[in-house]
Amino acid sequence: MKNPRKFIIQKFSEYYRDNANKIPLPTSYKKREFGFILSDKGIMLRHKAFSEPRFFRDFIKLITPSDVYHSAAYYKHPSREMGKKEWIGADLIFDIDFDHISTPCTEEHEYWTCELCDQAGVGKQPSVCSQCGGSKFKMVAWLCETCLETAKSEALKLIEFLVNDFGFPPQDVEVCFSGHRGYHIHVERDEIKQLDQNARKEIVDYVQGTGLKVSLHGLMQVSRKMGQKIIGPDLNDPGWSGKIARGVYDIIVTYNLQQLKEINGINKNIASLIFSQREKILKAWNTGTPWGSIKGVGIKTWEKLVETSVVNQAVSIDTVVTIDIHRLIRMPLTLHGKTGLKVVSIPSKSLERFDPLRDAVAFNEGTLKVYILAAHRFRIGKEIYGPYERETVKLPMAAAIYLLCKRAALLTD
Amino acid sequence: MLVSKEDFAKYPFIIGAVDYVKRLDLKTDELSQPEFSAIVTRAEARIEEALLDGIIKWESRLGYEIELLSYPVAIIFVSNIADNYLKKRYALAESKRIQALLKEDVDEKLTEIAISIFGWKVKRLPLEIYQPFDFSLSFIDYLRNAPNFHDFRWKLVNKHLINGEVFLQKDEFSRLISEEVRKHIEKTINTSPKVELNPLLLQRIEHIKQRLNIRKERIRIKEQPRNIISAAYPPCIKNFYDYLISGQHISHVGRFTLTSFLLNAGMEIEKLIKLYTPISDFNQRLTRYQVEHIAGVRGSGTKYTPPSCETLKTHRLCPGPDELCSRIKHPLAYYRRKIRMIKK
Repeated sequence: MKNPRKFIIQKFSEYYRDNANKIPLPTSYKKREFGFILSDKGIMLRHKAFSEPRFFRDFIKLITPSDVYHSAAYYKHPSREMGKKEWIGADLIFDIDFDHISTPCTEEHEYWTCELCDQAGVGKQPSVCSQCGGSKFKMVAWLCETCLETAKSEALKLIEFLVNDFGFPPQDVEVCFSGHRGYHIHVERDEIKQLDQNARKEIVDYVQGTGLKVSLHGLMQVSRKMGQKIIGPDLNDPGWSGKIARGVYDIIVTYNLQQLKEINGINKNIASLIFSQREKILKAWNTGTPWGSIKGVGIKTWEKLVETSVVNQAVSIDTVVTIDIHRLIRMPLTLHGKTGLKVVSIPSKSLERFDPLRDAVAFNEGTLKVYILAAHRFRIGKEIYGPYERETVKLPMAAAIYLLCKRAALLTD
Repeated sequence: MLVSKEDFAKYPFIIGAVDYVKRLDLKTDELSQPEFSAIVTRAEARIEEALLDGIIKWESRLGYEIELLSYPVAIIFVSNIADNYLKKRYALAESKRIQALLKEDVDEKLTEIAISIFGWKVKRLPLEIYQPFDFSLSFIDYLRNAPNFHDFRWKLVNKHLINGEVFLQKDEFSRLISEEVRKHIEKTINTSPKVELNPLLLQRIEHIKQRLNIRKERIRIKEQPRNIISAAYPPCIKNFYDYLISGQHISHVGRFTLTSFLLNAGMEIEKLIKLYTPISDFNQRLTRYQVEHIAGVRGSGTKYTPPSCETLKTHRLCPGPDELCSRIKHPLAYYRRKIRMIKK
């Protein structure tokens, strides 16, 4: 069988031949560092800089990289080694990836490849490879619709944080589908460029709800003439206070008895009490005094409800990416080496309608016959394919390249 | 607004005050003359108060002129002594004096300092609507200083953040300004040109130096014990260590934390590299490079310390604090304190 690697490079090369001129360079590109993963060797080529867009475009046509990145940072000398670049500033970036979000479907899309031969399979990895006897395997992330949807809803949540709480104009918040497992969110505004790592860490903690103290958002027990009283934030409060209130409201409205009982630290009898009194609590919310509206539900229980509400309202991001002020990020309209899909920039208002498995397809033409080792069900465009096991199938080019990139298929002669 | 001599004396770093002093065109030589002795004495007292009390008093009864002019003289002294501890301590003590004054001053003066001296984006809030808040400050400007404060109430996540603005009470805003002032004063000291001082002034400086040395002797930090006491590891390090020993995966930040912790606790590089052997993706050459880099033997020569508790929390690497954790902010601080507890 033919070497799939060579074939992928050939297809990537065709893509860049036809599309390189459409790839937009980032703003102030002369001050940014560019990085490329070399298709044949799999190694990273860094510290490149370009004085004109055509030099960049000629370069990718020449080397056909498997992945293309540029720095979120601006440097005086972007092509020098790290210590001599002279950092000027950096955009604010976020990475949302399934790796950082726990989804219930993880087990459904486990996939492994053997490190020594071309064997692959769905499900848990075997102890020894049936083909070569090897015992080293690589777990491969399968593109899963549930995961992609979860990542998208996390991205939408993050945009809400950035627009409503941080006050960034929506048009300055760029969202990119990474071409693989998640979304990047990129804020380019002069005033944030100088933020140091400590400041960026505070922004990370804000969107993740890390270090949030409920008493500082107004949930507390106070002594009144009539006795003890619990007060707390209102649904319309801004920032986290309102999010907490709305989150608790959501829990009361949507959780069933079992879910309430599963909340860490809530007594089973109290969960039943809350469940049976939910109409009363929701009514109390309209008058603005839900906290403490039920006798027998004390401050500790409300705190536990708030903690769950914080987890529900917070966004899961890759913390390291945002804090790192030298990070490289993928460039829109370049390809992702693990899928053959392209990185797509999406206006934040259109994200809801964005379908990565349709809108990020790069290879729309032709079909290809491949021998599939094993594959979960997957969708590309409108069609659903698989599951497959040890069979030769003729597939549209995008689906075939996806399987080849994942090492789930081989080329037929 | 900030034009009176009282304002200049209170806030001697503002442009008006600096200009006023400049126009007097005083020469350092003149300072040893008797008519300036009150100013020099007050300058010396400022430094002494910084050393002993950690805060400089507001001495309006000496007259605003003396209070104002003693500030640049004190800066000359501190800069001349060129001791890092004193520089920091002095800037902090001045900033504390200023914080106390700001809290009592009218709102407009606070906003004027923030806007005209530091270029912050800040608004005064109409009291009735926004109670209990007095100011709204752009989160960018808020984050210039708030991360330096360790109390939870300063975390952005615990603030009202609306449309890019952080809502603040007056005492909080005063604290943020005074922190910016502290940095400003440190910078002033560090960039102040070296001046030749005559013997009379040098005598005063000698006197301050003696006080400084007594102070430093008292706070001299004891050398850390060099043998590693694993029973004193904080929960996070214990976790990483256990993962490492059992060959489980540790994230990049986790490995960095463990490595820098153990190096700072006194573990030898060779021993540390051996410790990494059980990891499945162990690569001796790469591990050596990374460990030596963190130890400061390679690269920039910086010896790294582990991240603070707060940073570990951000990266979700804090396994949950124990009782001692609540009293410290850094894994190494935990370790030192625990060792003292064990030894007792």
